[in-house]
This record gives sequence, C-alpha cells and structure tokens, in this order.
Amino acid sequence: MKVLMQSVDMICCTNRDGVITPIKFRISDEKEENRIVKIDRILDRKEEKLAGNRMLVFTVQSIIRGRECRFEMKYEFSTCKWFLYKI
Amino acid sequence: MERIILHVDVNSAYLSWEAVYRLQHGARIDLRTIPSVIGGDEKSRRGIVLAKSIPAKKYDIQTGETLWSARSKCPNLVVLPPSYPLYLSCSDALVRLLKKYSPKVERYSGDECFVDLTGCTQKKTAEETAWEIKERCRTELGFTVNVGLSTNKLLAKMASELEKPDKMHTMYPHEIPEKLWPMPVRKLFLSGPKTLPKLYKLNIFTIGQLAHASPDLLQHHLKSHGLTIWKYANGIDDSPVVPDGRAVKGIGNSTTTPFDVDSEKEALLYLLSLTETAAMRLRSNKMLARVVTVSLRDTNLSFYSHQRRLVSPTDSTLLLYRQAKSLFKEMWRREPLRHLGVHLSDLVENKFYQTSFFDDTAVSRQQAIDKTIDEIRASYGADAVVRGLFPHSGIPPLCGGVYEAFPTMRSLL
Repeated sequence: MKVLMQSVDMICCTNRDGVITPIKFRISDEKEENRIVKIDRILDRKEEKLAGNRMLVFTVQSIIRGRECRFEMKYEFSTCKWFLYKI
Repeated sequence: MERIILHVDVNSAYLSWEAVYRLQHGARIDLRTIPSVIGGDEKSRRGIVLAKSIPAKKYDIQTGETLWSARSKCPNLVVLPPSYPLYLSCSDALVRLLKKYSPKVERYSGDECFVDLTGCTQKKTAEETAWEIKERCRTELGFTVNVGLSTNKLLAKMASELEKPDKMHTMYPHEIPEKLWPMPVRKLFLSGPKTLPKLYKLNIFTIGQLAHASPDLLQHHLKSHGLTIWKYANGIDDSPVVPDGRAVKGIGNSTTTPFDVDSEKEALLYLLSLTETAAMRLRSNKMLARVVTVSLRDTNLSFYSHQRRLVSPTDSTLLLYRQAKSLFKEMWRREPLRHLGVHLSDLVENKFYQTSFFDDTAVSRQQAIDKTIDEIRASYGADAVVRGLFPHSGIPPLCGGVYEAFPTMRSLL
C-alpha cells in the first residue's frame, strides 16, 4: 500500500453510542475530477494517539473501477477531517 | 518507607514530536533518521537550534548554536520551525498516560515528568512499571522516552540521563558508586557554566570526586550552592513530587528584537509591550508583584539587569511599566540592544491590596481598566484592544512568551 494522506469529503454515520462509520466519500484526482467511492466493508477500526493527536484508523474495502480494493482511512478528531491514508 | 520515583524524559522532544506528527499525517521520511533540527526564525534573529536528531548529533551540532553554524557543519541539514501548540498537546498526552500509574505526576518541564510510584506497585514491581511506561510511550504515543528509576528525584533524573534513547535505567542508592560517581561533574544537575570552572580549579572533575570533597571547602568556594551540589553528588535529595499547580515564583517575559533597538522610544515601546503581557499573566494567576527587573542584552551579547522593590505590590500594567521605564533609563548605556526582558517577582496573592499614602489616587480606576481589557482580550483575542502607541510602530503590542501555557525548565527540583 502507498501512503497518500489526501483529504476527502465524507458522508459518515454516528450512532447513538458515538460509534463513527464511514459510508461514502468524494475524492478529486490529479485531473481535478471528482470520484465517489462507496465503502462496502469495514475490516478493522482502531484508535491511535500518536503525538497526543487522536485519530481513528479504518481499514476498509470497496470496489473501485470494477476491482476490489483494500485501503485505509483516517479521521482526525481535532480538525474533524477525513483522509484517504493508504491505498 | 523508601520512596519510588520515576523520571520520564522525552528523547529529543521537539524533534521527535514533530516527526511523529508528520508521520501520522503521511510524511514519508522520519525526521529522526536524517540530520534535522528544530530551529527558531532566522529573519527575526531567533535562529538557534532548539532540538536536534541523533544523526544531526553526529555532525557535532549542539542545541543552542546558531542555525548558520549548524548548516556549515552539515550542508543538507533539514531545518523546521517549532510549533508549540503541538508540543503542548504531546506533553499533555504524556502526563495523561503517566497519571494512569500514579496520581502524583509533576510536569517538571515540557518534556520531563516526575512520577511518585510509592504505594502504586502492588501488582507489578517498580522496574516492570517503568519498562511498561517506556514501551507504551513508544507504541501508543509514537515517541521514545528515557525512564530513570530511583528513591528520590535527583537520582531518578540522573538515571534517565545515562544512556539514550529509549532506555530504562535504575540508580538506587547502592548503585551510586558504580553508576553516578564515574560520570563527569558537568553532567550533575545544577553544575553549570558558572560552577564548573570553580570545581575544575579545585581539581574536581568527576561526580565521585565532588562527593568525596569536603563540604566545608565547597561551601567556602561556592557558598550554599556548594553544599547543594555536594548533597546531589552523594545522591541526597528529599524534595517531594509536587503534582501540577506548583506555586509560581516569578513571571517573566523577554524578546529578541528583529532589528537593533537604538532609540529610547523604541526600547520603551518594547518594554511596555513586554510589561503588558507579563502583567496580564500576573493578573490571570491572581497575583501581585513586588519586584520589577529589567534585563538587556546588547549586540555584543553582553547581558545586564537592574531591579527595584516597590513600596506596595501591584498588578497594574501602568504602575509596573513606570518602574520598568525608570529602571531602563537608569541603566541603559545607549548602545544598540538585541534583547529586552521584564521580570516580575516576589509575588503575593491578590486577596488584599495594601493601599499606601503615596499611592496614585487612580489605583481603582487602573484596576478596572486592566480588568476590562483582560476580559475583552479573553473573549475577542489578544489583539482586540491595543494601545494607541503601537499601530505603525513596527513593534508588536504584546511581546514575549513563547507559548502562553507552555511549561519551561526550572532550576529547582
């Protein structure tokens, strides 16, 4: 997997217990074209607090261009930003 | 009962915090593995090395040297500016982790903590706990620490200095001859550049030699400080671990100016701006100050200062500034300055205000205006109200203070 760390527009769901689940996101590629990716499965979720900065790290799976891809997304609590971390 | 004290020291703190933060945000290079330093801003003449990586150490780059000389030692050195809010959040994360082991955690400086583990080691031995803390810092927080374990703060601190990085050391009293005494005396806490030449003259080069020297001789040459370092060399220290909230002894503010200050008008504006920030901090700590000190450093880096005791303690920006101004006028030798500082000390709580026969009649008006300005600044930002003297002067209306809440080193254990 390659580290990208690109910020994305995200639609996510927060349930009554405060558990955050990413649903789909929009990312712009090099040609400034938007692509929408729906997240099919969440394989793993963990919290990291490196350098005291809390982030949720999700390992997820989606179909991109007809192929099943596995990648990692990050949510940063302090800025409320979502990132496509590794793909 | 024998105490159990831990000293936790972050290895190259600023640099490793910056490195971990960048890695978390997708950086491909770990700053800790290349020659890199955190340095101040060269344009405003604060260009010194604040922290260095271990590869930078191999080029003989020292903390505190100028970035210019660091670059001449290593041409492809990576220099990054400091970001104090990040360092504070890292330091807070460290304290939160330590508080899971003991309620008594003292933040000694931004990157150093003391933990009193006495009575907190039922399930695990002190060594196991210390090891676990070191491992958790590395895996959870991403930066490495050195942990020193002993029976008092001084020995714990000396233990964590032994071998770096990412190590755990013990220095119990029975280990002093073997671990502490062979160290050079310059490594001892509080033996700095003023003390060392005196010790060398007395043929004292190692901590062991200092420990075996006669305390009377040391007291004769170094006054009470001689006795203190003699005690430290013998591992004697009974200072308690004080959880957060240590009483403030003095509030100071200083700044290195971006240009040489050679006119009285500019110098006084700097002093006003420094007093303004210092007095704001004084008031937010609910304190009054009785002693005002003004310090200056000229372009040849020679440093001098003057201080004055007030008749009655005060927290008024205007009254403190008047004293600073008259001190400055007495001492300034009209040479260009590059560093100015204002320090307020001999603090007392502001529960009472001692009125005096010689007081300005407008004291209560001054207090009211200071209070109002503080409130406006708290709600709308520090630059919401500034004095009319500052616009277009090129001098910031509030000077000094690296980062308001950032704890700095103290010389007291």
